[in-house]
Amino acid sequence: MDGLGKTILKILFLSALGAFAIYWAALAALAGDWKVVPFVVLGAAGVSWLLLSERAYPLRYLAPGLLFMTVMVLVPVVYNIYISFTNYSTGHILRKDQAIQVLTSKEIPTSPPVRFRFTAYGTADYLRVIVISTPEGPLFVSPEGKVMDPGSFAAPDANGDGVPDSVDGYPPLGTREFLANHYPAVQRIRIPWEEGWLRLATLRDFGYFIPRYRYDPERDAIIDTRTGKVYYAGLDRFVAEDGEPLDPGWPRWVGLANYIRFIRDPRYHQAFGRVFLWNVVWAVLSVAFSFVLGLALAILLNDRNLRLRKLYRSLLIVPYAIPAFISILIWRGFFNTHVGLFNEVLKSWLGPRAGVPWLDDPFWARFSLIFTNVWLTYPYMMLVSLGALQAIPGELYEAAAIDGAGPWKRFTTITFPLLMVSVAPLLIGSFSFNFNNFTIIWLMTQGGPVVEIGSQAGATDILLSYAYKLAFYGARGNEYSMAAVFGVIIFVIVAVISGISFTRTRALEEVSRGL
Amino acid sequence: MASRRVRPGRIARRGLRHLLAWIAVAFALFPALFVLGTSFNPMNNIATTRIVPRNPTLANYLAVFEKGLGVWLLNTVKVAGIAASVSVAFCALGAYAFSRFRFRGRRAGLLALMLVQTFPQTLALVAIFLILHHIGFYAPWIGLNTHWGLIIVYLGGSIGFNTWLMKGFFDSIPRSLEESALVDGATPFQAFRWVVLPLARPILAVIFVIQFITLYSEYLIANVILKGKEMYTLSVGLYNLIAEHYSDRWGEFAAGAVIGAAMILILFYALQSQIISGLIRGAVKE
Repeated sequence: MDGLGKTILKILFLSALGAFAIYWAALAALAGDWKVVPFVVLGAAGVSWLLLSERAYPLRYLAPGLLFMTVMVLVPVVYNIYISFTNYSTGHILRKDQAIQVLTSKEIPTSPPVRFRFTAYGTADYLRVIVISTPEGPLFVSPEGKVMDPGSFAAPDANGDGVPDSVDGYPPLGTREFLANHYPAVQRIRIPWEEGWLRLATLRDFGYFIPRYRYDPERDAIIDTRTGKVYYAGLDRFVAEDGEPLDPGWPRWVGLANYIRFIRDPRYHQAFGRVFLWNVVWAVLSVAFSFVLGLALAILLNDRNLRLRKLYRSLLIVPYAIPAFISILIWRGFFNTHVGLFNEVLKSWLGPRAGVPWLDDPFWARFSLIFTNVWLTYPYMMLVSLGALQAIPGELYEAAAIDGAGPWKRFTTITFPLLMVSVAPLLIGSFSFNFNNFTIIWLMTQGGPVVEIGSQAGATDILLSYAYKLAFYGARGNEYSMAAVFGVIIFVIVAVISGISFTRTRALEEVSRGL
Repeated sequence: MASRRVRPGRIARRGLRHLLAWIAVAFALFPALFVLGTSFNPMNNIATTRIVPRNPTLANYLAVFEKGLGVWLLNTVKVAGIAASVSVAFCALGAYAFSRFRFRGRRAGLLALMLVQTFPQTLALVAIFLILHHIGFYAPWIGLNTHWGLIIVYLGGSIGFNTWLMKGFFDSIPRSLEESALVDGATPFQAFRWVVLPLARPILAVIFVIQFITLYSEYLIANVILKGKEMYTLSVGLYNLIAEHYSDRWGEFAAGAVIGAAMILILFYALQSQIISGLIRGAVKE
């Protein structure tokens, strides 16, 4: 019976889903939004297949996670590659129809301006209606912007001036009351009027506005209503015959143009070279120093007879337990050149003129970043090394001691090689992570200080933060497509690192088997 | 113990070990202690702060809450909490399928998962931004500058790694218990729901906490997607609070930092050993 109940439930659910899908697809098709239809149909078909087919059974478990992973990881990767072949940037981000919509909703007042007085009726919290006095008589407009039938309101007008004394018992609102309570909602109202629309022009008037541009679908052109100038649709925007373009435009496929620009334009490839070099140095030094410190502390604590070692371990991992962004902002405060703790201490020791331009000088900014990153990551290295040290069998040391090997010899011949077997893959992982460790760079220095006037790439920019600047803090608008090119390049680098990591792990496994 | 003879050299070496350990502990703790002291200090700049303030006050805490800390904390807990719990639920399902079922494409799927989780989502940040921009025209509630949009991005980014991690845990749970349930007539889903999940509950909790902490600290994606003070998560809010104001908002920032770190510190130390073993299994912090 249980099985039967389930089957019925399934059939009911799928029928509802199917009905909904058909309804939605039909609505979209009627609205002319054909692109949505295949998604709806395929989605519904997919869900049905998932629930009906026995072979799809394992997929029922995988589908929810897979869906989100596809939408937010795989699709962005593919889309990012696509963007790198387009001219997505400020002015080229909307679709063509959206760009037309933006252009045709631009407005100009008529000359001379046409204005109609209006009166709002209601209370402080409630707006009943707006009455606009036009030459053709009063126009009753709801707060949502709909023109209403005047007959549906009780609107006595004793003096016959066309402005009702009250509407449905609500008195006219004073300007101040109107401004304080209803202005934002009324501001959004557009009432179709002759060739344009009416909208709030002043606190007392609605004005008549006409569109600045008109779209002519037959010529696929935008026409300036004042001058009659025609802007024809080009590849990525509307352009007049004299070459004057209209913003916004839309993106288009540009092939390898961005990559060629990257190689040809010294602005980009010089910046790339400088940034890449520091990016590698940064990741290598961060990993090396934090590993050395972490390993040293692990060796220090790896003594079963050491009292308080549990306490030490707990206290030493505090930097690991504090959210990194908070620690980074604290360290940034310590390193602040003007009001920071370190310079205050230096000044109190060495006199008022002492001080180091920690975050304002390329070398010291790099130093400060690596220092902070070592503080952040040594606990991880320590924990990893402690685990690995404890896994090394004690007999090896006894045998070495019998052979007369000293502590240093024992470390270099036994501890370190065995440690590296398990730790090396994690070091590569850490390198890979720090290579793209945007958070610390951005929160500490935002890639600064400036090294070259006119170049956005600062002394501590890594590839990811430089791409981020191009995309979202661009000096020449937002260069999404160039940022996407950098994304693709970083992608290749990460793939290479991961490839090395995988093969190396296997190599190390073989080494350990040989021992 | 007491009767064991101790040589002077060994005592000296012990002493040295403790000395070094305490130096390291001081290095680890001093920023945190310093900021804790600052947060109670009536003066608002770095220069005048000391670890134990002279006239302790709560003024900084009140001030930072006035600037929006409460809203940011709520936003962060909402976004990180929802994304982490849904992620754990979805990943448990997926990991169970990878661990127990044999189906075509299983190996390829596992390989794909492993590859996907080596690439940080932030590399395709521009694409994510533009996708949300376009989604916003159809469904404004998951477009740019929405918490649900951010949740979906986080959710997608966490699936690969968490599924991979959880599959390993499920592999270590013996199959005999489920098999007896299956013999008794349970469906595979019932076996999963009533036998495996209860056994895996502590592990799921740990993965939830790790994911929560990770998302709690996330800055880059949140900063791109969220605009406006009311929408900020803690990382974006605190950054914008302090970035250009080290000379006049240090005390308020310290109070915010103490509150922001306290919850995570408690979570971390309550589940210390499990979290550490989970993290070391393959994740680097963040």
